[in-house]
Amino acid sequence: MTAAPWPTELRLNKAKDRLTVAFDDGVTAELPAEYLRVMSPSAEVRGHAPGERKTVPGKARVRIADLKPVGNYAVRIVFDDGHDTGLYAWELLHELWERREDHWQEYLAELAEKGLSRD
Amino acid sequence: MAVNKQAVLEALAHVPLPDGAVGASARDLASEIVIANGRVYFALQVPPERAEQMEATRAAAERAVAGLEGVDQARVSLTAERAATAAAAPAAPARTEPGIGQVRHIVAVASGKGGVGKSTTAVNLALAIAGDGHAVGILDADIYGPSVPRLLGLKGKPRQAGQRALLPMEAYGLKVMSMGVLVGEETPMVWRGPMVITALTQMLKEVVWGALDVLVVDMPPGTGDAQLTMAQQVPLAGAVIVSTPQDLALIDARKGIAMFQKVSVPILGLVENMSTFVCPHCGGTTDIFGHGGAEAEAGRLGVPFLGGIPLDMAIRSHSDDGTPIVVSEPDAPHAAAYRAIAAGVWAGLAGAGARGRSAPKIVIE
Repeated sequence: MTAAPWPTELRLNKAKDRLTVAFDDGVTAELPAEYLRVMSPSAEVRGHAPGERKTVPGKARVRIADLKPVGNYAVRIVFDDGHDTGLYAWELLHELWERREDHWQEYLAELAEKGLSRD
Repeated sequence: MAVNKQAVLEALAHVPLPDGAVGASARDLASEIVIANGRVYFALQVPPERAEQMEATRAAAERAVAGLEGVDQARVSLTAERAATAAAAPAAPARTEPGIGQVRHIVAVASGKGGVGKSTTAVNLALAIAGDGHAVGILDADIYGPSVPRLLGLKGKPRQAGQRALLPMEAYGLKVMSMGVLVGEETPMVWRGPMVITALTQMLKEVVWGALDVLVVDMPPGTGDAQLTMAQQVPLAGAVIVSTPQDLALIDARKGIAMFQKVSVPILGLVENMSTFVCPHCGGTTDIFGHGGAEAEAGRLGVPFLGGIPLDMAIRSHSDDGTPIVVSEPDAPHAAAYRAIAAGVWAGLAGAGARGRSAPKIVIE
């Protein structure tokens, strides 16, 4: 099998606004709920082709309501705004952490460009 | 006009039992009768070994009650009585909790292509693992073309355990569940995907699998709803891919492997079925589908090669007779080939556990 990093624990904090993922390569990823929500791998956000990606505004106060395991490979994150169709595979969670700066700057730029806001 | 329990019991008193059954009429076997809005529900308690004979009585009881005034619908089921038959039942503690909570490893046997011998391999693999002293179950996930009941010579229907759960059937020491024992062998399941997903989920979660070392899942061909359901609903410990050596089958086997890798299910290995043909008349070997294709492919993909099974009349006829070769001819070379594959699978499972690739712990503070 691939030697891709594998998570050992997913932890949701008390405030329900941060998911902490411990990987077996030593990385501890602290992923804010808002970041996970706007980067959802769901077809509702990503569309069915790269060009269809939507910019999701106004999620600064979104919280995580539940985490549901999906087989061996992913977690379904249920957000308190009702969004629950994103299956976050381990690889994606790792990538979201590794490239958090790029993704976040891109997101902010998209918001600005479209005249949208985080609130 | 509403019907009452007394009227139902009276109707049942006129329903005779087949010879030799305990009690004189269906009335003696009736459980608690539930009446709601013109619908009547109850069960007839029968010894498990008589369940098949009692089917006619069940139907007659249903007709008798449905014919009563004020009854719109009658539903009668057969339940097995448990308490009094302690001597007949095995000493194992009767856990009636359904689901796969006590299953250690769930192993999918899959192929991309249909007709490559997946089910035959799955059944013999399950029996070979069981032969090493492990508790093994087999779930036939092929809703449209269930083959496991025939391969294991299963007859009859599974018994119910409580309101929703089913007890698995047993054959050669394996616990078995299949769509084929829930509907007749000749009944086609004309279903869309969502129905298949529901049925599979129920066969996983509403069957009393109990404590098992390995649950072998005989997957349907392809990479669709059924495969995704299995990958998402349960933490699969690994997958065994079956292919013939021919390129046409290997192309699809590759897709099956890629699918499992996508959902992080370890590939326990590739099995080459119909590997070669030994002529019963002259003893010469003919590689009908080629030979060694699967081993070469396994090498290319970096997955273990578990072994080859020849195309042989004995395997085919034992399969059709419901007497799998691993148990009916344990000394035959083919049985040994299946046991070697089982050993490879078991080693892979031990390895998968050692790599710690099970789903992470989820903590909600």
